[in-house]
Amino acid sequence: VWWRLRKVDLRMAPRLTGRRYWKWYATLLRLYPRAFREEFSEGMTQTFHDLDQEREQAGRSLFGFLLWAFCEAFAGIVKEHMTHMPQLGKMVLRVALGALAALMGPLVASQFVEGWNWPAGAFVRVYVLFFATGMAFVLIARRMGVWSYKAGAGLALLAGLGLAWSTMVQTADSEHPERLWYLSVLVVGLLGAMLARLRAEGLAITLFAMAAVLVLIAAVLPSGGPPDMARNMAIGHGVYAALFTTSGLLFRHAMRGRTSRSPSAQ
Amino acid sequence: MAKSGTAQAPLTPAVLHILLALATAERHGYGIMKQVKADSQGNVKMGPGTLYGSIARMTKAGLVRESGKRVDPEMDDERRIYYRLTGKGQRALEAELERYRGVVAVAEGRFAHGT
Repeated sequence: VWWRLRKVDLRMAPRLTGRRYWKWYATLLRLYPRAFREEFSEGMTQTFHDLDQEREQAGRSLFGFLLWAFCEAFAGIVKEHMTHMPQLGKMVLRVALGALAALMGPLVASQFVEGWNWPAGAFVRVYVLFFATGMAFVLIARRMGVWSYKAGAGLALLAGLGLAWSTMVQTADSEHPERLWYLSVLVVGLLGAMLARLRAEGLAITLFAMAAVLVLIAAVLPSGGPPDMARNMAIGHGVYAALFTTSGLLFRHAMRGRTSRSPSAQ
Repeated sequence: MAKSGTAQAPLTPAVLHILLALATAERHGYGIMKQVKADSQGNVKMGPGTLYGSIARMTKAGLVRESGKRVDPEMDDERRIYYRLTGKGQRALEAELERYRGVVAVAEGRFAHGT
């Protein structure tokens, strides 16, 4: 591949002397999938050169032309990779892009909200959290086509993400490391999901157990703050417990729906 | 290339324009681009990424094929890769144009009778 590209370089070099951006374009084309690149990079490079000649004769802006040509090639590279990717690769790419889009929320907000000074590492951790949540949803949701199973999985993951986030933020911002106990709710969820092998019946029990553990922790751990803070925390606990319970009910609905359609299921 | 993978399904605008550009003559990449721009009165402007991405899919679908390298007498002395329509590509183009004629006939009839 390298030799073939070199051959293209050498053949076209004399008429492109001094045009650094042509080399940039040729370099960009190397990002295409190998099969595509081997077949079409020579033609694309020729066409790029012809378009550049046309631009020059018409007296159009070089910057505009390069911006258009490079963006267009980049979009083509993404599209070709998507076409050649197996289904799992496409799914991972979609989740990665979705997580990136979700990260834009805190990234943009941090520019406008006073006191929001996350270091770069925090954004990386949040991105990993978003990506892991997205991948978990995609992998779990495709196990069962029932809407309530997908909704239950989505709700459980969102609540889990929220709980993990708020625990991390509270632990970092205050001097209450005992609040890391809230992470045990997530550990219960993880172990339960593994033991249940993601079956609706087991997941329903797991989500109810998560809600129960959360309520237990809330009852045992002191709030460690003024009364209004304690009230807010109680509301927060109530919301999370309700979310986990609702998710458990959705899994139970999915289990019943499947059982009524197929007695041998589960 | 048909969206659904069959020659009878509607073609994407890029594919239809490339088929049209190659309907009367073999052309190289830049030649196809110029012809598409002229056919669409400048409304369709595709870059090398779109053009060769479409050509790749059309080649795979058997609608077009490479027809060798040669010098374009109207341009410089560089040898360029030419493409031409296959029989399947010709039939796909005719089927698509027939589909368009049908749509136009229905639309004209509807507007003429106001129903």
